[in-house]
Amino acid sequence: MLRLATGDRDALAPLMERHSRRVYRIALSYLRDPDEALDAVQETFVKAMQHAARWDGASAVAPWLMKIAVNHSIDVYRRGKRRGARIQPWEDGTPPEERFAGDQPSPESAAEGRQIGERIAQALQALPEAHRAVFTLRHYDGMSLEEIAATLGLSLGTVKSSLHRAVYRLRERLEELR
Amino acid sequence: MIFDHWRTRRQLSLLAMGALDESEAAAARRHVAACPRCAVELSALGDFVSLLQRDPVRTAAPGMDDALLARLTLARFDQARVEPKASWRWPFVAIPAAAAALAAIVLVPRVLDEKQTHAPREAAANEILVPEAALKRMERNVAREQAVSYLNDAQDVLVTVASAPQLCDRKRRTLDLAEEARRSRDLLSRRAMLVDLDSDEVRSVRPILEDVERVLREVAVLDPCARPQDLDAIHAQLREGRLLMKINLMTRELQG
Repeated sequence: MLRLATGDRDALAPLMERHSRRVYRIALSYLRDPDEALDAVQETFVKAMQHAARWDGASAVAPWLMKIAVNHSIDVYRRGKRRGARIQPWEDGTPPEERFAGDQPSPESAAEGRQIGERIAQALQALPEAHRAVFTLRHYDGMSLEEIAATLGLSLGTVKSSLHRAVYRLRERLEELR
Repeated sequence: MIFDHWRTRRQLSLLAMGALDESEAAAARRHVAACPRCAVELSALGDFVSLLQRDPVRTAAPGMDDALLARLTLARFDQARVEPKASWRWPFVAIPAAAAALAAIVLVPRVLDEKQTHAPREAAANEILVPEAALKRMERNVAREQAVSYLNDAQDVLVTVASAPQLCDRKRRTLDLAEEARRSRDLLSRRAMLVDLDSDEVRSVRPILEDVERVLREVAVLDPCARPQDLDAIHAQLREGRLLMKINLMTRELQG
């Protein structure tokens, strides 16, 4: 990151190698579209390069990048909502699990995973933004509560209560969606 | 005891999510061991968290290798620098610029007229002679600028093709590449007219120009609603030839 801040463009590739998967998952959890998520990864790193000089050299890079990713994903998600876009299953005939290019599950568990993913996506839409961000960083990125607090600039107590409410609200919503 | 019960109840969701630190988790588990209602709730939450963990997004990865992703990101970063977003400041730049242009249009001919009437004819004849070296320098600069502009526009098209084309409205299983195909055809005719591959000025970047042209030819003939697999060969050329990165390097070299 220090190299990027001094204008060393070669520093981007190793930085992306280390963090692009995490950023991608955060973006995908919001946008539920592999292409938009890939776009969000690039935008996150473009913003990181543009503001590299502002990065406080003492703090960790990952939370800083994740904050950019969350903010950017929320922006894109809101724009999509304004345009009236709805989260829909992928329609090009390629199952999402192939497009996600992650671990390759069996067709049955992939179909089941796809259904679960769609239901979770719908349920996540019902959460207030702060709760959703806390839940996303915990569930999709595995951040500790302290890291989430530092990333989102919230107190530890707020993070705990947000996660607690998010879990119960999601459970309620997913039961309604059954 | 009651206070402890309600505090732990509020922590059960965090315990099920694996979010509590060791000491908090141990305290919560001790309480659950002595509280049948909490045990039932924790078990239900555990089932729910297992369901959440089956979301495929948790194991998803970008369907593109990191090196290509980094190159595309650099291209996008450069593009963002070249084309800064319009902002509220534009009137402060545009209005003085327009005023300056207007002043130049009105005043410059007058000043020139005045000069011409007073200067001897011989001197005027000498002034319009431009040294040959200067002319050559200008030609070189123009050739380089045209090559840079061509490469930048080609990069723009190729980045879209390589990253995330929109889906076709008509056929949702295909990608909308009508605009990229049209721009590729425009670029190819522009290259033929404006960029001379044999000129000294662009000789050093000729291999890149030829590679770019080869890929643009493939984009130019794509179906407006192309199938994703139609792009496989183009993606392979971009990736294996590291074309987007080379375009970056070459444009910088041409710009000196």
